[in-house]
Amino acid sequence: MTFGTLFLLSLAKAFTVVVALSLNIAGLLTWVDRRQGAILQDRVGPERAVVWIPKRIAQGAVVGPAVLVAGGALALFFLSDAEGVTRTTRAVLFSHLAVFITWFTALVIAGRIKLRGVKNSFDRFIASVGDPRRIFYVGLMVHGAIFLSLGVLKGTPAGETLRDFLYGAGPFVFAFSALFGAGYAAQRFRHERAGFRLIGLLHPAADGLKTIFKEDFIPPGGDQFLHKLAPFVSFFPVLVLLGVVPFGDTLCFGSDEQGKIMLSKLLATVPRDGICPTSTLDAGSAVHAVRLQVLDFNVGILYFFAMAGTGVVGAALAGWASNNKYSLLGGLRAASQMISYEVTLGLTLVGSLMIYGTVRIDEMVRWQAENTWGIFVQPLAFFLFFAAAIAETKRIPFDIPEGESEIVAGYFTEYSGMKFAMFFFSEYVAVVTLAALTTAVFLGGWHLPFLERDGLHIMLGDKEIYAQPLSHGAIILIGVLAFVGKTVGLCILQLFIRWTLPRFRYDQLMKLGWRKILPASLVNVLATGLIILAIQSGGPAVQSLMAGAAQVTQWVIAVGGLVLTVWFVRFLLKPAEHRRVLASSSAQYAASMGGTRTARMGA
Amino acid sequence: MEPLDIDLDEAELDIPAEPALLNVGPAHPAMHGTVKIVMELSGETILKADVQVGYLHRGFEKMCERGTWSQVFPYVDRCNYVSPMLNNVGFALACEKMLGIEVPKRCQHYRVILGELARMSDHLTCTGAMAMELGAFTPFLWMIKGREMIWDLMEDETGARLTHSFGRVGGMAKPPTDHFKEHAAAVKDQVLKILDEAQRLLLGNRIFLDRLDGVGIVSAEDAISLGWTGPCLRASGVPYDVRKAAPYMTYGEYDFEVPVGTTGDCFDRFIMRFAELKQSARIIDQALEMMDDEGPINVVDPRIILPPKEEVYSTIEGTIQHFKIVMEGLKIPAGEVYSYTEGGNGELGFYLVSDGSGTPYRVRIRPPCFLVTAGLEKVITGEMMSDVVPCFGSLNMIGGECDR
Repeated sequence: MTFGTLFLLSLAKAFTVVVALSLNIAGLLTWVDRRQGAILQDRVGPERAVVWIPKRIAQGAVVGPAVLVAGGALALFFLSDAEGVTRTTRAVLFSHLAVFITWFTALVIAGRIKLRGVKNSFDRFIASVGDPRRIFYVGLMVHGAIFLSLGVLKGTPAGETLRDFLYGAGPFVFAFSALFGAGYAAQRFRHERAGFRLIGLLHPAADGLKTIFKEDFIPPGGDQFLHKLAPFVSFFPVLVLLGVVPFGDTLCFGSDEQGKIMLSKLLATVPRDGICPTSTLDAGSAVHAVRLQVLDFNVGILYFFAMAGTGVVGAALAGWASNNKYSLLGGLRAASQMISYEVTLGLTLVGSLMIYGTVRIDEMVRWQAENTWGIFVQPLAFFLFFAAAIAETKRIPFDIPEGESEIVAGYFTEYSGMKFAMFFFSEYVAVVTLAALTTAVFLGGWHLPFLERDGLHIMLGDKEIYAQPLSHGAIILIGVLAFVGKTVGLCILQLFIRWTLPRFRYDQLMKLGWRKILPASLVNVLATGLIILAIQSGGPAVQSLMAGAAQVTQWVIAVGGLVLTVWFVRFLLKPAEHRRVLASSSAQYAASMGGTRTARMGA
Repeated sequence: MEPLDIDLDEAELDIPAEPALLNVGPAHPAMHGTVKIVMELSGETILKADVQVGYLHRGFEKMCERGTWSQVFPYVDRCNYVSPMLNNVGFALACEKMLGIEVPKRCQHYRVILGELARMSDHLTCTGAMAMELGAFTPFLWMIKGREMIWDLMEDETGARLTHSFGRVGGMAKPPTDHFKEHAAAVKDQVLKILDEAQRLLLGNRIFLDRLDGVGIVSAEDAISLGWTGPCLRASGVPYDVRKAAPYMTYGEYDFEVPVGTTGDCFDRFIMRFAELKQSARIIDQALEMMDDEGPINVVDPRIILPPKEEVYSTIEGTIQHFKIVMEGLKIPAGEVYSYTEGGNGELGFYLVSDGSGTPYRVRIRPPCFLVTAGLEKVITGEMMSDVVPCFGSLNMIGGECDR
């Protein structure tokens, strides 16, 4: 690999991690927090932040991607000739894509009509379906019908006809639906300008912009230099922490004699073991393996602790340099709290290190992919680690360094503008970082049950029930998505905790850290050692028992994940309940006047 | 109090080894803008606390003396803006005591139901806010949901959500709406349900219990000598409740208990409000049962009660009667009275002096919150800085009442 390629790759990885993970998810967290505040204070909430763009540009922005997607699908279908993908697979894929985009478009249109009212005859037709949920159910049924009929008619002449039909019609229906949806959306712009809201995510951006231009106040008696330095010292570590967390499996691609990258390798299936095989390549070409991890470090988790430990310096400096007693108290509390929990954070992981036998985080994930997720081998450590991680992020119930109702804002009381935002943002990014690390160490990182490097293999004992080879690119993509999904799930869990639990008192926090969590983590290390000894001296019978247990956990995760997904979809589909004991007189009045949500917001 | 800005000009930062003097409030988030505490801290322990109450400076007692008797109602509303109905009724009762009249039974039940709902709203807000200030936001939202239901009912009955000014000398401003009874029963049921949820969220939480248990203990003697009343006094183990000790209106007819605490710490004060919510629900149940569906709501006395609007516009007697009451105010015989009721936070007393004109000569309110807040010093001395939050929350300081 040339130096240029290497440099570009590293840039791309850093960009993916920082932008896609920390900044976006932290932005989302900011948004969620603001929403909660808006609910309470009856403000309009973050989704009102809007950028106005001219109608033509908005229409172009809507239609353009749809044209690209539709054209790309047709071109892929007619021009490309990928190896290893059979005709049937493509037919089924395209027909499903077509059905999906059709019902999704119809669903969105129905939703808009419900919100904004019927405007033409097509609207009336869609609205006559009734509740938009029906469209969703019909779409699901069509998917089921395709699967069922293809399965039943497999091998028969009728099945062949159906397959050919799907093969021919799928791409066209897909392209048509995408273009129709985009065109419909574009023609609904009635005014000369269109509002661009991005589900409210513009609001954090606007907030960020605003804080840059706010007055930067330094208290007269404070230490000028340290006061300016502190936010950077606390912001830097959390940003560089994400670098060592692997967000996907090793990516393989080839390059030919000229050093040009051949992406076709991504579409092929790679063997299960061995990172990147060279056998399938022509002479003179080379194979590259790229770890999806910005910093390919051999000390992995030690670097993580080293950097995480420096975060406390920023808080302590800020508290000291502000010349404010609240800040000083906050800084002292922050220092003592973070040092105490740093110890626990490291000790809880010792058990995991003993089992995984490595400090490289990607090796840890690989161990979990081969055996079982870390949460099953170190259940106690998971909870201890998660608690200590929340303490590290200085959020409720461990937010005593800033405890707003006690010491105003703690160590950043005297900060304004972007420096204040940097403290807050470093907290949010720390939430994401620690969620990512927890995912990698305990929740299997990018791994999903039964998903190997060469495809899906559902096993029961030694028997394979179902196998589906998948291309290398797809496997990597699923892995990255799984990692992001797990991380977001843990972030949301932290948000739940933050809004629900009360705050500790300073001495109670210390007691919890030193007298409960720390001894518990030591006991965990001892127990882990004993169990490892017992298993190693147990012989092959115990080994096979462990292998069986590992497979049971895979089934548990798979079934649990499925149930969770179904529950989530059901939750999303449930009609929102606005329960009132009895409508108040003003509500009755508003209802009788045909009052709506928009009317109320505009008032 | 010594000046606080002695060493502000020193360029070097150094932590003095002697106790640190820390100003908490009135702009501190937990002090609600109306209380200031000057603390002497050793580390995080409070060695000395100087609580300075009453930063509102409205002079509402003086304002009460400027208008007619009826024009006092909006002022007493704003004393306790979390349970204004109790203050309304309390003031109306004081005036009626001077006049020597008693409102009809139906009105008394009506007042009791509205008053107990207001007490529920008061306690829900207090306990919820206490949890929120400790960081638990969800229980607060839960309880505010219950308060919203109560406010919806109040809005339906009175036309205003917060400061309803609904009481009148000799009755209420309007008779209950047609669906009042079913609405009140439904609201009560919902609040009890919410209470269960909040109880599960908070009382099953070790962190929350640890923050309250054994913090800010006030003995019964201290509580009495501080002049405490209401839930705070009862938490210390003194079963004094005006509704039982000197029953007014129809409180003597209901079957309810006065919950009493044992240790007088923050947890007792917290749980006391939960227990009282349940007792309030019991009272509402019985009052709804006893309340007649038909009948007069106000006393029949043209010198006290405004005539119906159609009479004002169509008969000369009505016009004159309306004019006299509105322009001169209703005449309360000369004399003085101290009338006391059980407000949201304790004994709410009105000391009124009348000179026989249509205007009160002197209005003096004994707000429960002022005395309770004045005892904060006793509660937090020796505790940690963080304990100020639950202690202050458990006292349920209402800024409007602390105005001196």
